[in-house]
Amino acid sequence: MTGNVGGGTTGGGSPERPRRVYAPDFVTELFRNPLDPGYAEAAARRKARGGESAATRAGGFSARTIVLVAAGFLLAIAYHQTVAAHPQAVQTRNNLVNDVKARQAETDELQKQADDLRDRVSRLRETALAGTDLADLRAQEARVGVARVRGNAAVIRLTDAPTQVDPVTGQASTNLGKVQDRDLQAVCNQLWHDGAEAIAINGQRLTSTSTIRTAGETILVDFRPILSPYEVDAIGPGDLDKRFSGSATGQLFRELVTDYHMQLSVSHRNNVTLPAAADPQLHYATAVSSPSPSRPPSSPASPVPSSSKGR
Amino acid sequence: MMFAVLALIAGVVLGVVFEPSVPLALQPYLPIAVVAALDAVFGGIRARLDGIFDDKQFVISFVSNVLVAALIVYLGDQLGVGSQLSTGVVVVLGVRIFGNVAAIRRRLFRA
Repeated sequence: MTGNVGGGTTGGGSPERPRRVYAPDFVTELFRNPLDPGYAEAAARRKARGGESAATRAGGFSARTIVLVAAGFLLAIAYHQTVAAHPQAVQTRNNLVNDVKARQAETDELQKQADDLRDRVSRLRETALAGTDLADLRAQEARVGVARVRGNAAVIRLTDAPTQVDPVTGQASTNLGKVQDRDLQAVCNQLWHDGAEAIAINGQRLTSTSTIRTAGETILVDFRPILSPYEVDAIGPGDLDKRFSGSATGQLFRELVTDYHMQLSVSHRNNVTLPAAADPQLHYATAVSSPSPSRPPSSPASPVPSSSKGR
Repeated sequence: MMFAVLALIAGVVLGVVFEPSVPLALQPYLPIAVVAALDAVFGGIRARLDGIFDDKQFVISFVSNVLVAALIVYLGDQLGVGSQLSTGVVVVLGVRIFGNVAAIRRRLFRA
């Protein structure tokens, strides 16, 4: 009963061979004869004894039935366990995703509300204020960044270098051409220096209290995450893009492009509208109600100070 | 043979109907126990086809398979090599199941 079964590849030569003393190869034995020898032994015993009593047969039958029911039961439990455990993880994840989406929708809604209210405030102010005061206020707002502005802009577009994958190990090497927060800070500072009057990064307008920071792998502008490609729009003098390209910062970025494959494009675009930033909430500073503003309102070409660019 | 299949199906139905929750402490043993049970069942089917099926042998092989498999996993967990030992048990039982299924296939289809 032992020779005719097995993996087939091990060959059937062993029965003819004389028995050796060394221990049988366990794995080969396993492949050749997977059945417990117990069945064959039991059959031989039964044959020797010659038949069984009816009681033994009935007992065996019920025991066999119980074991088979138990086996089926085990299978069902295991299946249930696997299937039941799986959706739990998926469900948790889905809940989290839904949570995030709901919160995003909520913030969008609130943002829209804030925009609407700001529009209403400015409209009410327009009706309340006289002509020169209004123009004054508008100019001030535009300068600090809480009003929309329009003008000709230089557009600087920075894109992360593509991730280099090692052809041998298939692992991504550290990407040195990834745009960092300090790259954007350098660009903004250079633009302010070159006479920019309003700057927005990926549609996020910068104010005097704006920050450009990194959290983990993401760059945050005013605590809002922005993603590559980064587009810095700066309204300023007509040759702002050329000034930027000619500056030391422009030179530095050209080197980053050649050395680390960061992508950079500097262009000029007419009639760009930059959005308003959210009203900076002042919690600690209060306005000094002096009669004379520190800056004469009749100098619209003066660049906005860039003292706190989030370093 | 027919009755055995019916008993197996009855067990599955029972499991589906009652949907018992497995205690957390027993959960690591469940997959190994299932593989061990499958090994015993396929061994029984093959013995049946060979004409040497024996009730006592079947019952004992089933119970001891499940218990020994659980014991090995338990020991492995205590020794810190639980996953490796589980893999070992699955490989050995898997080879046995394959061998038995191959024998069953040869007997049924002569191929």
